[in-house]
Amino acid sequence: MKKIFLMLGVAAAISSSAQPRLPKDYHWQKLDNGLEVVVIENHKVPLATIEIAVKNGAYTEGAEYSGLSHLFEHMFFKANKDYPDQAKFLKRTQELGAIWNGTTGTERVNYFFTFDKDSLLGGLKFMNAAIRYPIYREEDMQKERPVVDGEFQRAESDPGFQLWIESNRKVWGDLFTRKNPIGDHQIINTASPEKMMTIKDKYYVPNNSLLVICGDVNPQQAFSYAKNIFGDWKPADADPQIKYPIPDFAPITKTEYFIKESSIAQTPMIMMTWQGPDFRNDSIGTVAADVFSKILSLNSSKWQQALIDKGLATSVNVSYQTSRYVGPITINIVPLPAKMKECYLEVMNQVSQFDKDDYFTDAELARAKEGLKRQQVRQTEKPSSLASQLTYWWCSTSLNYLTDYYTAMDKVSRQDIQNYVKRYIAGKPYVAGMIINSDMNKQYNPGEYFKN
Amino acid sequence: MKNIFFCFCFLIVVKAQSQDNKAYDMTVNGVKVIVVPSGNEIVQVDLVIKGGVQNYSADKAGIERLALTALTECGTLKDDKNSFKNKLDEVDAQVYGSAGKDASHFQLNCIKSDFEKVWPSYVDALTVPRFDAKEFQRIKDEAINSLRRMESNPDASLQRMAMQVAFNGMDYAKFSSGTIESIQKISLQETKDYYKSLLTRSRIFIVVVGDVSKEDLQTRISALAAKIPQGKPFVLKRVSYVPQASTFVAKPKENATNYIMGVSSAPHPNTKEYYPATLASGIFYDKMFLEVRTNNGLSYAPSAYFSFGATPYSVMYVTTKDPDKYIAVSRNLVDKIKKEGFASDEVKNMKNTYATRQYYNNETNASLCFMVANSEVVQGDWHKAFTLKEDLHPVTPADVNQVFNKYIGNFTWVYQGDTTKVTPTLFTQKQTPPIAKDKKAF
Repeated sequence: MKKIFLMLGVAAAISSSAQPRLPKDYHWQKLDNGLEVVVIENHKVPLATIEIAVKNGAYTEGAEYSGLSHLFEHMFFKANKDYPDQAKFLKRTQELGAIWNGTTGTERVNYFFTFDKDSLLGGLKFMNAAIRYPIYREEDMQKERPVVDGEFQRAESDPGFQLWIESNRKVWGDLFTRKNPIGDHQIINTASPEKMMTIKDKYYVPNNSLLVICGDVNPQQAFSYAKNIFGDWKPADADPQIKYPIPDFAPITKTEYFIKESSIAQTPMIMMTWQGPDFRNDSIGTVAADVFSKILSLNSSKWQQALIDKGLATSVNVSYQTSRYVGPITINIVPLPAKMKECYLEVMNQVSQFDKDDYFTDAELARAKEGLKRQQVRQTEKPSSLASQLTYWWCSTSLNYLTDYYTAMDKVSRQDIQNYVKRYIAGKPYVAGMIINSDMNKQYNPGEYFKN
Repeated sequence: MKNIFFCFCFLIVVKAQSQDNKAYDMTVNGVKVIVVPSGNEIVQVDLVIKGGVQNYSADKAGIERLALTALTECGTLKDDKNSFKNKLDEVDAQVYGSAGKDASHFQLNCIKSDFEKVWPSYVDALTVPRFDAKEFQRIKDEAINSLRRMESNPDASLQRMAMQVAFNGMDYAKFSSGTIESIQKISLQETKDYYKSLLTRSRIFIVVVGDVSKEDLQTRISALAAKIPQGKPFVLKRVSYVPQASTFVAKPKENATNYIMGVSSAPHPNTKEYYPATLASGIFYDKMFLEVRTNNGLSYAPSAYFSFGATPYSVMYVTTKDPDKYIAVSRNLVDKIKKEGFASDEVKNMKNTYATRQYYNNETNASLCFMVANSEVVQGDWHKAFTLKEDLHPVTPADVNQVFNKYIGNFTWVYQGDTTKVTPTLFTQKQTPPIAKDKKAF
């Protein structure tokens, strides 16, 4: 079992030219310019999906660029040499009958289009124009800055986001910008075309990107199109991930609590965050984290029985986000207001038992694994979603990690889970936040007990 | 980059399965069953109960959702709640109920090889629910807390306000999730009685998406239906919504931006105007995106769409820091469309987009199941879930213009945010306001 994880980690370091392991009907090539191309053959419906993912996002952003990977992603859809304004760009998406979007996360920026399979060539040319030949005009940026800021304001109107951002400032300290894709209002509203070009030159190069062609396609033809269209994309002299290293996140040094008042929060919410494992340093921990989270989601688990079955909370979710650079472990709780104190104390009681030998049964461990296996069947049900799933793992782990995940998951032992809990949760500093409206804060006074 | 509101709200039915495995229907023991072979490893079953908010009075809003939640959260006569849920966890199966405006759904999703094991639990939940008193109190508490959580979400809060204001006095003003006041008053006994009266063969049909043999389904569903009384015939009422004047209601709220929704009329989905309206809806959205977001930088999330149910309606939606400029820009856009009409290439391209969407929404059993069920409820014919491409084909630009001009008229506007930033008369006055050129968007 250890061997498998060791292999995953090593493979990440040496995979620059080696053929990665891939699931059935997945095909991989690397072009001479370093662009990796994966074709996923799936003939369920007569559609093709194309996606380009770039290793960019919040983790590459220092304070002066906070939120600009996201603004850049918006500008992708604005103007380029073939479609010089957004009206023409949108018109082309309509001609292709395309469903499209882009997202910016912590460790990935991706762009994707789904259309009729016969539009594959046209779609790839369209993608090529947008990713390689964007046009940044000051007037376009003036219009797009408030759009991006408007997306930010929508998030800020939700108490869940307010709690998240306040918590994460404390969890990541000086490097918070590297975990916050939405960014900073001031930086977004003063962004210049020059900054866009800086991002493009640093990260939008073939040897930092992955092209996925997925759906009702012929792999040979798809690779041929990819080579003809993207083969002359000029690579960077050096791997951007090495040339622009990411600073290490400092560990949380002391447990911190806060209570934030918000008039929008009609019911309180609690978030607790620890710094968890990452792919670079503890591949086995990332998988053990998923299995442990799944165990805690089972109705029979001590966690669910103590909190949901007893009617103390509406939801109590424990999750881990797989990351290349320190993934967060998060507990999100929606307590019943009148039972908030009892709920919180029980949460702390449960967390204190996470590392005990008898915290879960062998049957629950087996049940969690069976559940995750079935989850795999569901995750691969929608062909057009396969590209985005693949690019997430490519950016935050490796293609081998994706392929070996369920084999590795099946081998996770009780000891692996205890190692994970002891290394990242039990007795470790964390950040605990609560968002609550003023009336409930006065009525229930959580400050009396929700503290260090 | 693009917001997902359009995809989320757009209840458009779409195509289905390959030519080799045709969908069919059959009547089993008095219950209509629609079967769609899927060619994959998943089985989705949906028992649909017609009526939705027409089934109860406003003071009982939420009772149907409580009853359906109780089916899985209060256990059955054979299994208490924990035993019931642990059985499902064994194979990661999902059995869940939901209540909507026009229908409720009780669904099962599992891996095909687990179907044999999960089906009995599904049947028990429907036919011998335990309605345990302690668990019922727990789900009531959770329902109330979920309503508070919903009210904390700015979009959900706005949507509820829009439905309440626009459809005041009509069935659509009722919330399937209820209100805090209504949920607090609903008792266990009346929920049990309500469920008993609700589950009748006359009111339900079943959709199965998955590779289960016809004979197997006949046997299983026949046994299930035998435990369900016939009941009285039910016909879904169809009511039109036509606001007589534009109105504006604002609620101060400390959102980081302002949330606005306008509701107007729309054609019924079981009429020939449905298909031109479908195309108009898609093109209207695209034009709103271009004008409000691209050309004026006013919003991340402008939207416009038609919603097709028993009471169809159209919507304009935005979040913006500059509501006055938004309404000027969007009303001028509506005027322009009405004056110039939709171009023929716009109509042609939108047909292409729906062709893509047909297959796209056909990729999972759950979404396919929803489309089939929705077509049966709102169009009265599940086959329509498979023929959208063909049904859109003969629609002309003139048809699209006609429905747009007919139905996009007065709007019932609701607003949540900074009420000092908005001029209500710009939303309600007959004359379209001019677009202020000198005012900065943000």
